Amino acid sequence: MMSKIKHSPRRWWIWFGKHTIMNYLLLVLGALVMVLPMLYMIISSFKENAKTFLYPPVLFPQVHEITISNYRYILDNTAFFRYLGNTLFVSLMTVLISIIVASLLAYAFARLAIPGKKIIYGFIISIMLLPGLALIVPQFELAARLKLINNLWGVILFYSAWVTPFSTFLLRGYIEDNIPTELDESILIDGGSIFSVYRYIILPMASPAIAAISILNFLFPFEELGWSQAILKWDQIRTLPVAITMFFQAHNRTDWGYVFAMTTLAMLPVVCFYLLLQKYFISGLSSGAIKG
Amino acid sequence: MKIRRKFVFDWRVCILFLPPLLFVLFFTIYPMIKMIVMSFFDWKIGYMQTSTFLFLDNYITVLKDPIAKIAIQNTLVYAAVTVPIQIIIGLFAAVLIHGIKRFSVSFRLVYYLPVISSWVVVALLFRYIFSNFGLLNYFIVDILKLTSRPIGWLSSRWSALFAAMLLGIWKGIGWNMVIFLAALQAVPKEQYEAASIDGANKSQRFFHITLPNIRGTMLFVITMLVIGAFNTYTPITVLTNGNPAHQTEVVLTWMYFQTFEALNMGYSAALSVIIAIIIMVITLILFSFRSRNRRLER
Amino acid sequence: MKKTMLLLLVMVASFLTLSACQNGSNNEVTIEFWHNYSASDGQIVVLETLIGEFESANKGIKVEHVFMEWGNLRASVVLGATTTVLPDVLRGDIAFVPQFQSLNVLEKVSDFDDYEATAAKVLAAPNSSNRMGSDYYGIAANTNTKILFYNQDLLTAASVSVPTTLSGLWSAIRTLTSQTTIGYVEPWTGIWNVGPYIWSSGGSVLSPDNTTATGYINSATNVAVIQELRNLYSEGALAGPSMDPGAVGDTDGWASGLYAMQLDGPWRGASNTSAGINYSAVPLPAGSAGSISVLGGENFMLFKPSSDAKKAAAWKFVQFMTDKHAQVEMAKVGQMPVNLEALEDAEAIAAMPLLPVFAQALQTAKARPVIPEWSQVEDIIATKVALAITGVKTVQVALDEAAAEIDALLGD
Repeated sequence: MMSKIKHSPRRWWIWFGKHTIMNYLLLVLGALVMVLPMLYMIISSFKENAKTFLYPPVLFPQVHEITISNYRYILDNTAFFRYLGNTLFVSLMTVLISIIVASLLAYAFARLAIPGKKIIYGFIISIMLLPGLALIVPQFELAARLKLINNLWGVILFYSAWVTPFSTFLLRGYIEDNIPTELDESILIDGGSIFSVYRYIILPMASPAIAAISILNFLFPFEELGWSQAILKWDQIRTLPVAITMFFQAHNRTDWGYVFAMTTLAMLPVVCFYLLLQKYFISGLSSGAIKG
Repeated sequence: MKIRRKFVFDWRVCILFLPPLLFVLFFTIYPMIKMIVMSFFDWKIGYMQTSTFLFLDNYITVLKDPIAKIAIQNTLVYAAVTVPIQIIIGLFAAVLIHGIKRFSVSFRLVYYLPVISSWVVVALLFRYIFSNFGLLNYFIVDILKLTSRPIGWLSSRWSALFAAMLLGIWKGIGWNMVIFLAALQAVPKEQYEAASIDGANKSQRFFHITLPNIRGTMLFVITMLVIGAFNTYTPITVLTNGNPAHQTEVVLTWMYFQTFEALNMGYSAALSVIIAIIIMVITLILFSFRSRNRRLER
Repeated sequence: MKKTMLLLLVMVASFLTLSACQNGSNNEVTIEFWHNYSASDGQIVVLETLIGEFESANKGIKVEHVFMEWGNLRASVVLGATTTVLPDVLRGDIAFVPQFQSLNVLEKVSDFDDYEATAAKVLAAPNSSNRMGSDYYGIAANTNTKILFYNQDLLTAASVSVPTTLSGLWSAIRTLTSQTTIGYVEPWTGIWNVGPYIWSSGGSVLSPDNTTATGYINSATNVAVIQELRNLYSEGALAGPSMDPGAVGDTDGWASGLYAMQLDGPWRGASNTSAGINYSAVPLPAGSAGSISVLGGENFMLFKPSSDAKKAAAWKFVQFMTDKHAQVEMAKVGQMPVNLEALEDAEAIAAMPLLPVFAQALQTAKARPVIPEWSQVEDIIATKVALAITGVKTVQVALDEAAAEIDALLGD
């Protein structure tokens, strides 16, 4: 195909393939809308504090106005890496726990004979329906009784429980759709237990779905604010969303350059994690669950 | 091909199934039950205080409260507008990305960027864009010279909600794109080839092959987005904080206000239960479509 | 996939080891201190220095301070009340005292033997915000009131002189307003904001015994005051983020030279100085009943569920913070002292050029009613006044509704 195009006398854009120039045009247009606010955030993070929200707005600073002082300030004056470490720890533990819990549940719901399975499954799924913030008062009481206040495990355990229903839902669909029951049967007939099936069939074969769910669950602690703000009060254990919000509030809501530098830095690990696992993202999501 | 098995008690199943189940239930069921209990009380959250049983009084107060009505209306409008628009744009983007060979990974990342960016930050940016002396008014007043006085986008109920909805849509497109892309990749290619041979054009192929094939995904996405719409909190807090005069409250912001400013724990618990019932009804309706859809496919 | 997982595990493991070695225990009393001192004004740095001094003077006591924003401070106390997840000492808005007391979490500090001696060192008026009945549930930390800040350059440009009467203020606001300038900004519509205009015009909010609103909040005087604000708003001369969320925030608006005047507290001086604005301030121009501003500030509060040892340590810390030295240090970063000696300290006066103006305004400043329902009462007023100012309801209707709702609330 390449060679054919090389010799084509037509214009260069045909290189992209027939009829797709319109696709690219529209996509680029959409991409602009998608990145513009983000671009503004990144540009502002290199501007002086006072120059962020001027009127008339200045979109692009002059070259000599570009400064990395905001970044220097954040790295020197806040425990940024401490917050990042906390967030990564919470994210990874949440991913780990939720994947173990959800894969076990998904396997059980997909394959095992359990009395009242439909009702239990329905109940697990209905946990998704309730807005998380609505339960903050009784949840806090529970966390306090478990001595989980000002403890990273207070967010990890609750996050894991919250993200498990959706993860279970996706994984169950993936297992039902993409892993043939014959494989289970072959292990069981050879005298293996359901644990062997889980370990040697379900886990490896569901890994694309597990990767996709990992991305979603990894992102969650980088985003969630209401619960983490209630639980993590001490500075040394704050996660990034809490730290950014606290920083923003402690600085009278005006030091925009600092805030944008901090949020830009906070986005980097998220983007890296996404890029790391993105090739599994689409294939892992294309399961029976989302197809109905 | 499902193999139907008779139920036999198996301790291995218990070991595999019960611990994860109990884990989830432990952290979710107690708060839920507690909230339902609270909704029947004039709940006192203080230190060593006793609460009085009211039965349905909190529910009556919520249902009679004009601001609760505004908040529920705003949330329903938010859902009714953002859900279909997100789906249409997200699906459109997915179809476009599905149809290209190069750079599809880059586009996927770019369209997904808003999803992985922080709500607080993008809400702040949108507030700046829509504020009286913001980017949008700059274009309207100073560049296009359409009016001489800046438009107060955030100053009245519907235009402020419009800004919030735009933010919700913008941030949600990427998620829709990814899900639909996954669904599109599962559509059997033979169907397209057969249609091409029959001379079907692009839009015919989309409406007669693509759409029917992703009908199930559509219902799934609608369900998730409706739940998401009821979860809207940060955009409103940052953009308007419910102002002016609680006109732009959504259910969660109003619940938060009742909990932490007015200390009406019983009221906010009752509001939570009412919201849960609304979401459950909507979801059950969607699920009934879903099972009908499944029957159609079989 | 396996490699990725392995990588993740290694990261987790290394983090666990890192965080494992950071605890050591001893017989010290550690007290937790929640506050909302501002970081950008340098107050947190001063606080940390002061804590260091306190700890070295009081061996065996450690103070862990935790910053929380105003709303988060209150939400955290509310959430933690049942399960006693509370600090040992808190420095927060004077308006928190009645609300926290209704949660039954505050320690009755007037039971300390030396409460009276400690309280005698601070201004009596601000400290009265701790009194419920005959008991005190806190001690004043700093005080403030609101005075009229103005942007000198904008006044000069519009050749407006500093107003001396309330009606003079209203007309100055109109003269100052132009295409690029908004004469006045009022961030909220609660009594904190409209109270001074009401009181200075001879109006009131509740009956003297704080039990009735009808006939007070909806009096003809109050209707006229709110009508004036409504007129200013509709003319574009008054801005405010709570009436119009699209309005520029007051700090940003002052910094960019958009707002010409505002009735505000000491922090406005600090932020204007750092933004390089040429500003000054006078007490609120007098209305028919004089110049009556609103009393603000923060109190130190102790919490009932703390252990006795922690209460004693916390009380020592509070005494240290209300003593002259700490108060002067805090004055240097914009906190108005309540300590009588600090108020006359040369260093403090030098650091706060507006201190005499505030002191004058404080003599007539009025406290908001100290009742447990106050935050709900103020929300009702803020909501209805916003409806009136933005023109959704007529002023009379809005204030009548407010009166009825408040009476229903207080009647319970």
